[in-house]
Amino acid sequence: MSRVSADVATEATAAARGDAPLTPRRRNFISATFRSQPQAMVGLVIVVIFILIAIFAPLLAPYSIHEKTGAIYAPPSSAHWLGTDDGGVDMLSLLIYGSRVSLEVGLAAALVAMIIGGAVGVLSGFFGGSVDIILMRITDIFLVIPDIPLIIVMAAVFGRNLRNIIIIIGIIYWTSTARLIRAQVKSVRERVYVKRARSLGAGNNRLVFKHVLPQVSPLLIANTVLMIALAIFAETYIAFLGLGDPTTISWGRLIENAFKGNAVLNSAWWAIVPPGVCVTLVILACTMMGQSMEDALNPRLRVGHLAVRRFRVRPLHGKLETE
Amino acid sequence: MGRTDYIVKRSLFALLTVLVAVTINFLLFRALPGTAVSGLKCRACTVQFKKALAHDLGLDQSKWQQYKLYMENLVHGNLGVSAISHKPVRGELWEPLKNTVAMITLGTVFSIVFGVLTGVMAAWRRGTVVDRGSLWLSLAFYSMPTQWLGLMIVYFVADRVGLPHGGIQSPDLGILSQPSTYEYWKDRLDHMILPAMTLGLVLYGEYTLIVRSAMLETLGEDYVLTARAKGMSNWAIVWKHGFRNALLPIVTLIALSLGFIVGGAIVVEYVFNYPGIGLAIVDAIDKRDYPFLQGAFLLLTFSVILFNFIADLVYFKLDPRVTT
Amino acid sequence: MTDRRPVIAVEDMHVWFDLADGAELHAVQGVTFELRPGERMGLVGESGCGKTTTILAMMGLLPSSASVSGRVILDGEDIMERGESSVAPHRWCDISMVFQGAMNAFNPVKRIGDQIVEPMEMHGTASGSSARAQVRDLLELVGISGDRASRYPHEFSGGMRQRAAIALALACQPKVLLADEPTTALDVMVQAQILDLLVRLTRDLGLSMILVTHDLPVVAQVCDRAAVMYAGEIVEMGQMSDIYHEPRHPYTRMLFAATPDLLGDDEVQSIAGVPPRLDRDLIGCPFAPRCDSTFAPCTVDHPRSLQVETGHTAMCHLNDRLVVGAAGA
Repeated sequence: MSRVSADVATEATAAARGDAPLTPRRRNFISATFRSQPQAMVGLVIVVIFILIAIFAPLLAPYSIHEKTGAIYAPPSSAHWLGTDDGGVDMLSLLIYGSRVSLEVGLAAALVAMIIGGAVGVLSGFFGGSVDIILMRITDIFLVIPDIPLIIVMAAVFGRNLRNIIIIIGIIYWTSTARLIRAQVKSVRERVYVKRARSLGAGNNRLVFKHVLPQVSPLLIANTVLMIALAIFAETYIAFLGLGDPTTISWGRLIENAFKGNAVLNSAWWAIVPPGVCVTLVILACTMMGQSMEDALNPRLRVGHLAVRRFRVRPLHGKLETE
Repeated sequence: MGRTDYIVKRSLFALLTVLVAVTINFLLFRALPGTAVSGLKCRACTVQFKKALAHDLGLDQSKWQQYKLYMENLVHGNLGVSAISHKPVRGELWEPLKNTVAMITLGTVFSIVFGVLTGVMAAWRRGTVVDRGSLWLSLAFYSMPTQWLGLMIVYFVADRVGLPHGGIQSPDLGILSQPSTYEYWKDRLDHMILPAMTLGLVLYGEYTLIVRSAMLETLGEDYVLTARAKGMSNWAIVWKHGFRNALLPIVTLIALSLGFIVGGAIVVEYVFNYPGIGLAIVDAIDKRDYPFLQGAFLLLTFSVILFNFIADLVYFKLDPRVTT
Repeated sequence: MTDRRPVIAVEDMHVWFDLADGAELHAVQGVTFELRPGERMGLVGESGCGKTTTILAMMGLLPSSASVSGRVILDGEDIMERGESSVAPHRWCDISMVFQGAMNAFNPVKRIGDQIVEPMEMHGTASGSSARAQVRDLLELVGISGDRASRYPHEFSGGMRQRAAIALALACQPKVLLADEPTTALDVMVQAQILDLLVRLTRDLGLSMILVTHDLPVVAQVCDRAAVMYAGEIVEMGQMSDIYHEPRHPYTRMLFAATPDLLGDDEVQSIAGVPPRLDRDLIGCPFAPRCDSTFAPCTVDHPRSLQVETGHTAMCHLNDRLVVGAAGA
């Protein structure tokens, strides 16, 4: 998954749900989007379920994750629904507690990316001129430098704790948000009411906060949701390379554990499959939600000039009146 | 006139980015705790020895001097000396690089070919089962963590198709007799297939989405209607007008995903224990071989920037409108 | 003596578009007309009245959300009979089109010349160097220098692209040319040149043309006949001078009245009100809500198309008092 493709699959979810092309909608009707697009609703439900699992983890997890409560790599049984890992700890409990860290990192890092990207985008789009040029060059450079080596180096340099991971991910991924917001701000800036407000003497601050931000925030939110998907992906990556926070359990670390603990050799599929499924589900859900939202805000009503089924012919309709 | 401007501009940008990347590389590694020398552990590594080595490497000079030294070395292709093997980093990179390039090429070709075919088909038959099915599949692969997909493939697929779990060479090859050239290369290929496929599947998901989106954009353009009016068959329109024009955004987006390929390769090699650059990097992280890491990252960053630049050139060739 | 047989005839054409909620939009309702060789006919009306849809339907270029009924008779054959498969062979060689916004009709990454050669080679009318020579001739014919064939579309100005689009439409020597708003978005000088060109081409090449536009002065200048469309139907049709001097439908009259200066380049001024929705059946005359001459039958019966004089039909109750004739000329 790359930072770029987050911008791209705009019609993917729309088509995946099989609806007709969208009609343009008012910008601030996010809830209308959800109501009209079942895929977005499904995505939201999935994410909410996981968030609830994370919040109520202590209530839901059957065992403690700090104690050996079963045999090493015990297969799923009635005592341990998802078996145990290489330390004899219950997998289901690990999975439930792991959701906390994974979601926390995802949400927090996405927030960081949103703040940085949003700020850069707004400044760049609003002020234009040299501010714009400089900021955009910086963005371009960030985009070209490969993110993975940067993550690795920064994790190695700044230490492996959760806070750092969050900041690192945020720093890597703010660029696409910045681009998107900048384009949006530019178009909003040209709107009549902004110009009018300016001519009435409204200061820049006022313009930005009262007029520009409200117009831009739906898109910002949609983009942030997509960022969550990217951030969770990045977290699993960092954890897998052993650069994650050693004191916490996340889905990424569970996958790493399975690898380091030779789950494959031990035929312990229950240690491998569930964490990956969870990650995939959450990323899929966020992608669907985010794409649907972006879709609704930047509608691309496309008439395809090519269709497998062409126009249809019907038998003669009315009667010809003859002289 | 305007056309050559473009090339000049992109070249300058590429060079600037290289410069920035190189500098960031330098700064980051200088910021690491300890120096390349203090972490050395070996029998002869007394305090005096380390001091002498530090002096040789220029580590007792000011940061600015070190930077100049670093740049000078770079220009001469000197990437430093590995802290673990004590051999020049450049030499250490060569063999793994070959392995990685082979594997990545296999995976990327697979993903581009299938991604393009699926994306074009999905766009052409938009709204049908073919479209929706392939979209779901692509979204699913796109959402999977690469390393997890690799593990799943090792667990569920490898044995079933008789492919090895990892490494690059079967341990029993050449034990009884000298393997023939064919056997040798076939064995290497066998070891490459699964890691390449893992990388390819994740990329395929992304590329299908990109190609589909670009094709839909193109197929809605007026000149497609004109082509249909001229009496062109669907097939001809899709390839001659649709795809040819969609190539523009496709090339750009594929180029921009190269950063991901780099990262994906690292993780895939780790999972499959495939001795490429990725695995070397992971090892180096583990062993704190910072000079090696620095060299490897430089190489990776440089390749990505290079490929982006090549993509710029390809785009330039494809689009006659480009002037800036 | 010009051939009196029509080169193309449309009989009772209907077009429906599927709507999202399962309903249908009845975009074209029973359109019938004929076109003779060398004739220039204008198809006029507000945006959304169905004029573009009609000509797209004639070439079978509607999307899959459309269904069509009716006959399109070209050379004695109903080319709409089996839909796409019976229409496709006639594209470009018998009937071609200059699209609205021809600026974008060209593929930006291919040379103009190559794009004009394309249909020639496809339909087998020419190939290789003779095709390229014909392209140069065509470009010269529309007033573009022949060696611009190797240029790309973005190197042409808007007006030149329009001309190139006309050249493209002539590539396979069609009998009928459908021109959809060929002069919109062009400045007045260029407009005049393009219209001039179209007139010359129909005269010199014996080409028949349907000119779709909302711009009355254009129609009045260029066309021999005109058909006025409203809400998917032809409400009046006849010789240009008849329609202009003696409109027999209030809509036509109001259209002409709303245009202050026939020689000016103003767009049709809006008549107050909006056209009716086409996704449901209408009672009475579709124009009644905006008409200034309604009386008893207007809100109750849908008027029939009546021949008010030779070659002049109108669909209005005001003409009911005449000897009952029928649609068709």
